[in-house]
Amino acid sequence: MSRNEAHPITVEVVRNAIVAYADEMANALSKAAYNMMIYEVRDYCCGLIDTQARMISQNRGGLPIFLADLGVAVADGIERYSLDGFAPGDVIVMNQGEVCGQHLNNVVVYSPCFHGAELVGFAANRAHWVDIGGVRQGFGSYGSSDIYAEGIQMRSLKIYEAGKRNETLWQIIRDNVRYPDAALGDLRAQIASCQLGARRYGELIARYGRETVEACIARVWDQAEAAARAVVEKIPDGTYEAESFLDNDGRTLDKPLRIKVKVQVRGSQMTVDYSEMNPQVPGPLNSGRSGGIAGARVAFKALTSPDLDVNEGCFRPLDVVLPDGTMLSAKPPSAIGLWSIALPTVIDTILKALAPAVPHMIPAAHKGDMGGCSFFGFRDDGSRFLLMNIFGGGWGGRPDEDGESASVSVCQGDVRNTPVELQEIKYPVLVETHALRPDSGGAGQHRGGLGVELTYKLLQRCKANINLDRTRDPPWGLHGGGAGAVNECFIHRADGTETAVKKATEIEIAPGDRVTFLTAGGGGYGDPGKRPNDAVERDIASGVVTKRNAS
Amino acid sequence: MRGVGNDNVGPHILPRSVLMNIVGVDIGGTFTDLVGCVDGRIVTSKCSTVPADPTRGVAESLALARCEMPALSELLHGSTIAINTVLERKGARTALITTRGFRDTYAIGRGNRIEAFNLFFHRPQPLIPRELTFEIAERINAKGEVLTPLDEAGVHTLVATLAAQKIEAVAVCFLHSYANAAHERRVGEILRAANPKLFVTLSHEIVREYREYERTSTTALNAFVGPRVQAYLGRLETHLRAGKFPGKISIMRSNGGVMSIALAQDQPVSMMESGPVAGIIGAGRLAKLLGIERAIGFDMGGTTAKASLITNGVPAIEEGYVIGGEASGQPMQLPVVDIVEIGAGGGSIAWVDATGGLHVGPKSAGADPGPACYGKGSEDPVVTDANLVLGRVNGERFLNGAMRLDRAAAERALQEKLAGPLRLSVKEAALGIVQIADSAMSLAVRAVSVKKGVDPRQTAMIAFGGAGPLHAVAIAREIFVPKVIVPKVPGTFSALGMLMASWRQDFVRTLYGLLGALDAKVVEAVFAELAEAGKAQAARDGIRPEQADFAFLADLRYVGQEHTIAIPVRDAKLLSGDFSSLRALFDAEHDQRYGQAAPDERLEIVNVRLVVTAARPDTLAEQWLSEAWQPEAPVADQWRDVIFTDAAKPVRTRIAWRPSLAAGARIEGPAVIEEPNATTLIHPGDVATVSAAGHLIIDVKS
Repeated sequence: MSRNEAHPITVEVVRNAIVAYADEMANALSKAAYNMMIYEVRDYCCGLIDTQARMISQNRGGLPIFLADLGVAVADGIERYSLDGFAPGDVIVMNQGEVCGQHLNNVVVYSPCFHGAELVGFAANRAHWVDIGGVRQGFGSYGSSDIYAEGIQMRSLKIYEAGKRNETLWQIIRDNVRYPDAALGDLRAQIASCQLGARRYGELIARYGRETVEACIARVWDQAEAAARAVVEKIPDGTYEAESFLDNDGRTLDKPLRIKVKVQVRGSQMTVDYSEMNPQVPGPLNSGRSGGIAGARVAFKALTSPDLDVNEGCFRPLDVVLPDGTMLSAKPPSAIGLWSIALPTVIDTILKALAPAVPHMIPAAHKGDMGGCSFFGFRDDGSRFLLMNIFGGGWGGRPDEDGESASVSVCQGDVRNTPVELQEIKYPVLVETHALRPDSGGAGQHRGGLGVELTYKLLQRCKANINLDRTRDPPWGLHGGGAGAVNECFIHRADGTETAVKKATEIEIAPGDRVTFLTAGGGGYGDPGKRPNDAVERDIASGVVTKRNAS
Repeated sequence: MRGVGNDNVGPHILPRSVLMNIVGVDIGGTFTDLVGCVDGRIVTSKCSTVPADPTRGVAESLALARCEMPALSELLHGSTIAINTVLERKGARTALITTRGFRDTYAIGRGNRIEAFNLFFHRPQPLIPRELTFEIAERINAKGEVLTPLDEAGVHTLVATLAAQKIEAVAVCFLHSYANAAHERRVGEILRAANPKLFVTLSHEIVREYREYERTSTTALNAFVGPRVQAYLGRLETHLRAGKFPGKISIMRSNGGVMSIALAQDQPVSMMESGPVAGIIGAGRLAKLLGIERAIGFDMGGTTAKASLITNGVPAIEEGYVIGGEASGQPMQLPVVDIVEIGAGGGSIAWVDATGGLHVGPKSAGADPGPACYGKGSEDPVVTDANLVLGRVNGERFLNGAMRLDRAAAERALQEKLAGPLRLSVKEAALGIVQIADSAMSLAVRAVSVKKGVDPRQTAMIAFGGAGPLHAVAIAREIFVPKVIVPKVPGTFSALGMLMASWRQDFVRTLYGLLGALDAKVVEAVFAELAEAGKAQAARDGIRPEQADFAFLADLRYVGQEHTIAIPVRDAKLLSGDFSSLRALFDAEHDQRYGQAAPDERLEIVNVRLVVTAARPDTLAEQWLSEAWQPEAPVADQWRDVIFTDAAKPVRTRIAWRPSLAAGARIEGPAVIEEPNATTLIHPGDVATVSAAGHLIIDVKS
């Protein structure tokens, strides 16, 4: 394939088209989806993959940690069936833990894309099913010790073969998940989305020819690479290190987990080295390699080209050193149910390492966790319910301004909290408080953003998973700024007793019990003594800082 | 610029029996446009907006069009005042009252970060600060039951605080007020009694739908812009009455309809998008007149292009949008004509990035300095420069010859900013700009249809705006739209649309439950409540019951889904009784939009909607659109070289003067059809025909 065929005008046309197709796939998926993880949390990604399993394009606005990682799932299918082994009308499902490296709820679906009889690529998506069977329910369960306890695995299986549905596989899914209507509804939406993407890419190839389109795509990748390199080049060469700590693995409670990263910059190339990362742990607070790679990629993307589209070219200037057996590269059959929990901290730690080199590019630490709760049980009529909600916290102070408050983590982009009114319509709960958490932002010339206070009163017997982290190592300040407040959770029992909880899986909740979440604030940036008086006064007047804390 | 009046857009005389004289005045950021039907003629004028006192713009545009105020029976008005008040954050000193425990609902919002990789993102900034947000003890649950009674003493105490704080407007939004508005209503009574001048907005009066953040934001928007818009409309009315204007004043609103000036003063939030929707409404009317089932309205101006899907003459409606940009704008949960906007217009700047990628927009050169070819010193090449260099636009006839375009300046800008760095010829660079803009617009226009499950091949495009007819055919070719219609007066078509808009008011009420398990009495009560509200509003605006059309819709979805599809419901009984007909409609619509359906799954309802409309009593603008075309005296064709698809091979092309083309005239591409404020480009192989009424109907080669 010759690069010369890529006329700059055709390149621009193709660049716009391939992302528009991925966006169209995302629209078809999210609008028809059945679970809040897709339509509210946008825990999905859609994209086009070439026949070498490389990411041609990805939709805008999906989950940041799904960065150009659909390829490994498709590569497994190509290996299994070979490129000759796909037919029009095939649809493949894939969530196997070892290859995908993510919790099994993240199910990849893809369709081959043909131009005439020629296979030209794949349209793929990944979406978080609300349940995949196994011992884990909702967010934050520590119940599993190996992958087999975490649900069903489907490794590159054809759920449709030349347009005919595999009823056996369909039935296996139906019989092994807790919310089969939702799972199969999401699967239908995923399939329709892939078929749409495959059709569109085929149309593009029909229009311009395969060689031209592929030459344009190669050029788009080159441009993405060049844009990222230009930024890395401005970072002084050197080796930068930082560490931070997660609380524990949910089992050995007095042993913090060390998140250690080394970042090397040489010219326009950056290496994120996880050699000293905490070893894998016995519970589910692990990920496969895809977790470690995603963490490095989010940090890299945010630093180098946050406003450009995601594709295979963006990450060429990034190398990741990730030995097997760390908690970001756990060996099978490790449990990986909480695969993403460490990532906000990992990303912040990479940024912290670089902060002395490029202080103007890096804010203080944000809340550092994924922030969510789940309550589940049975309604009076016997039907099962599962309330999941994601809430934000404070982001770190910035070189030129205060941090934002009440925002979702760096791993979550266009992820929305669930309206209180909707939660009360659908679930047996009453929300008593949904407020900013005063005094939670770290002090600094530029203050950290505030966390959130959220109190649920449960109206029915149920269970909850509570999964707080970073309570020992708070969101740090930078350049003299103070730390943000840490996550807290209290259960006020109907009988008047109150307990602080950090991690609890399937804890019993009685009617009338209240559960209060206080989410972390962001770290401060710069010396608090330099904070202008009018900013301090404004904080006091609005009540986000109390007088006691301002002094 | 001085104003331009034109009371003679062709000798289009309507029957003398027509007694009504109506004018539409659209005050935009830069220009004030007027189109009217007066004494059987179409009149137009255009003048600069006077930002300090927009009502002067109305006076001036009426004078330019030689309209006598006493002779007019109705004035329709669109204005950017509401949206500008928000974008400039120059509204009233506004307070917010919330349920205790929820002071920060407005500040917290949904917690999302649209710019996912941006470490320096900005969330929406509330229009009302935290220190002016007050909690009141009260609580109602999702069923509308009172859990905590309203603390009336607390409200009375608050009255004094508001006065001390010199508050001009108050927004009140309590949890679940859509289900039971008693507490909000009582707070409203107390506040209004204590200070009749206070502008009070109660959330349930604006929108009775769950989602507390979006409802709070909508209520806050209304309160924030209220006093300023109220004063503005008051001044307008006083001015018109002083000029002996005897007629009705109607205000264009975002839902594509109009409302009385009195209602606009209470609900200014519903006039946010009053400008852009008018053209799409006009396109809808034209589609209806021409019997086009599915049309795409396409409006391209100086800075943006807009597109909307029109079905059976009715533009698609979206239940809310974000004002001021998705990432950090203000959510507004009211129906708005579903318009996709893309940053590609005649003034969009073409540029080369550091890696050699060529882009067009979204930055625009605007009107000043404008395109390089305006000769005002701009060195950035824009889409209009490219069209000039390609021979598509006539530098001598631009704006009816009022402005001569400088081709050399355009070529210089293209050479320096694009052709040089990319090692292309100037003509190649110009062609590239146009092709990139066309392709970007094609994707957006296509998305308008395919998102609703409509195949562009089964649509026709109605193109207008200053630049619309110039690009429409290329877009149609790109996405296989077989027919393009360029209406009469495409350059001022938007203002014409206002003269065809119906009176319209939308109502919504959350009703949550499974189809088949709803209590018939509850459903009937919701329908009755909505109908009552609709009748009251219509009566208030002087609409007689027999003029009004009441259309109910149900927001339905499969159990477990979030997004709903609004399905028309003829009769409340369909929701509580045999709902098989609704079910079939829903399954079919779901299949069309998302490529799949689940006829075995349970359906649930989320909201009931009521749309009350009343068609205009006259059809002056429609008559003018349908009236037989009478050409001006013939003007000889010109010929010039135009570049279509190969920069190295210009095509000797016929240049026709549209006003002189007779009905039935057939123009084969390649051709350029010029008229005072627009240019239509016909590509080789395509054929344009002048319809009996004077519209250009272009058959696009597939």
